[in-house]
Amino acid sequence: MSAVPITKVRTIVDKIEDGGAGIKVFSLVDPDHWELPPFKPGAHIDLHLPGGLVRTYSLCNDPADDKRYVVAVKREVEGRGGSIVLHDEVKVGDTIGVMLPRGGLDLSTEVTRFTFVGGGIGVTPFLSAAAWLKRMGRSKFTLHMIARGEPPLADLLAPLRKSGHVVIHDTSSGQRPDIAALVGRPLSDVALACCGPDSMIDDFEQASRDWPADRVHIERFVPPPLPVDPDAKPYVLALAKSKREIVVAAGQTMLSALTDIGIDVPASCCGGICGSCKVDWLEGQPVHRDRVLSPAERERSLLVCVAGSAKDRLVLDL
Amino acid sequence: MLDTLTAKPVPGAVVLSWTGVVRYLHITPRAFLPMREMPELTLIAGKGIEGDRYMIGREEGFYSHKPEEGRQVTLFEYETLVALKRDHNIDLAPEEHRRNVTVSGVPLTHLVGRQFWLGETLLESTRLSIPCRHIEEITGKAIFDPLINRSGLNCKILQGGTVRVGDAVRNVQ
Repeated sequence: MSAVPITKVRTIVDKIEDGGAGIKVFSLVDPDHWELPPFKPGAHIDLHLPGGLVRTYSLCNDPADDKRYVVAVKREVEGRGGSIVLHDEVKVGDTIGVMLPRGGLDLSTEVTRFTFVGGGIGVTPFLSAAAWLKRMGRSKFTLHMIARGEPPLADLLAPLRKSGHVVIHDTSSGQRPDIAALVGRPLSDVALACCGPDSMIDDFEQASRDWPADRVHIERFVPPPLPVDPDAKPYVLALAKSKREIVVAAGQTMLSALTDIGIDVPASCCGGICGSCKVDWLEGQPVHRDRVLSPAERERSLLVCVAGSAKDRLVLDL
Repeated sequence: MLDTLTAKPVPGAVVLSWTGVVRYLHITPRAFLPMREMPELTLIAGKGIEGDRYMIGREEGFYSHKPEEGRQVTLFEYETLVALKRDHNIDLAPEEHRRNVTVSGVPLTHLVGRQFWLGETLLESTRLSIPCRHIEEITGKAIFDPLINRSGLNCKILQGGTVRVGDAVRNVQ
C-alpha cells in the first residue's frame, strides 16, 4: 500500500531525440501506454527531476496525440540546472513524475487568425497550437520562427513549413526582425502570442500595447524578479483546514513561510507565472502579483509564491 | 421515526422495487489518468476490478493510501449527469465522474448498507461516495458542490464475475 497520497502522474521516458542546436526532445508516456491527462494547445507541465528539481516546459505535441507528452529542452549551461539534469542524467526508461498540464493558448473560434512569434526554443508552445489548429481545419495562422542559423526542431517544424505556415527569420546574418512589423495593427479577428527571450518579449509587449489584452498571450522562459516592496509588512496567515496560524515576515513569501512549517505546496517557477502553487483563499485581501490568474480566478485563488496580504490577516484553504 | 433498515414488510403491503441497467463501464490504471470506456469489466470478490487503480495489490489510486473495502467498485447515476446539465448547465461525460459503473434507473442513495445484483455480480454498498476537489482539478469543471449527496456509491464485491454494458441491476429480493 502506498503510505502517501499520489500527487503526480508517473511517466516513463520513451524516447529522446536530437532537436538540433543543443536541444533534446523527450517523449514521456504512461508505463502501460494509457492515455495521459488531456492538455490544451500550448499548455505546459512541471517535470519532477532527479535531485528534487521541478521545472516547467511547454508541450510540443498536438493535444490529440494523447498518449505522449513531448517536451523540447535546450541545454542551458547558464540556466538554473533543470536542463543540465535532463540532458546529462535522464535516460530512456527513466521514470519522471509530472503534474497535471496547465495553461495553454486561447484558440477560441471568435478569433480566426493567429500570429505566433517564437524565439529559438520559445517556438515550442506554438508547435502544439499549430498542430491543433491544422487538425481542426483552422489554417489561418502564421508562425514567425526567429533563430540564429538553421532553425532547431526541424522534424517538428517540417509539416508546418511544408504547408506554408512558418516564416523563418534567420538572425545570424543580421538583426532580429522588426517585431512591430510582424505584429501589425490591431485587427478584430486576430490574436497574437509570443514566447522567447526577455528582450524579444519586451519588444513584443511594446509592439502589442494597443491590442486588447485578451488577444495577446505571452510566455516567459523564466519568471521576472519580484519588485522589492519597501512598504512590506508582516501578516498572519491562517490555515483553515489544518487550523494553524503563522506569521509571514515582511518581505518573506507565503510559500517560504508555508515551507518553513513543513507544508508542501507544489511550486515550480516561484515567480507567479506557472500557476503550480495555486491555493484557494477564504478571508482577507490578497495582493496578487502573479501573471496568470484571471480576475475571476483571483476572487477565489492566489499563487503563494508571489501573493501577499493587504491586511493583517489572510485565511487560506489549506 | 421511520427505520427502513429494521422495519419488516407488512403482509399484503405494496412492495417497492426497481430494476436498472448498466450504461457505461470505465477503469483507469493510475491516479490522474483518463478513465477508459470498456465493454465489460471483470470483478474479483473482495479485491476489485481487473486493471483498475483500486484493485487490491495494485493500489495506484488517488486514495489508495486510505484503503477501504468500498473502493473495490464504484457506481454513479446517469440521471445525475442529466441533472448537472439541466440544473447547472454543466456537461459532464460518463468518463469524467471517475466512478467505474454508470447506471440508469438505480436509486443509489437508497442502497447504502444493502446488497444488490450488478449483472451476475453481487455487491454490498458501504457508503455514499463523496465528491472531492481532485475531480475538479482533473476535469477543470466546478462540479464539487453540485455533486454533494449524489456523487455515487462505494461498494465491496461479494460475488465476482463479468459485468457488461446492458446488464441488469437488480435488488436482492
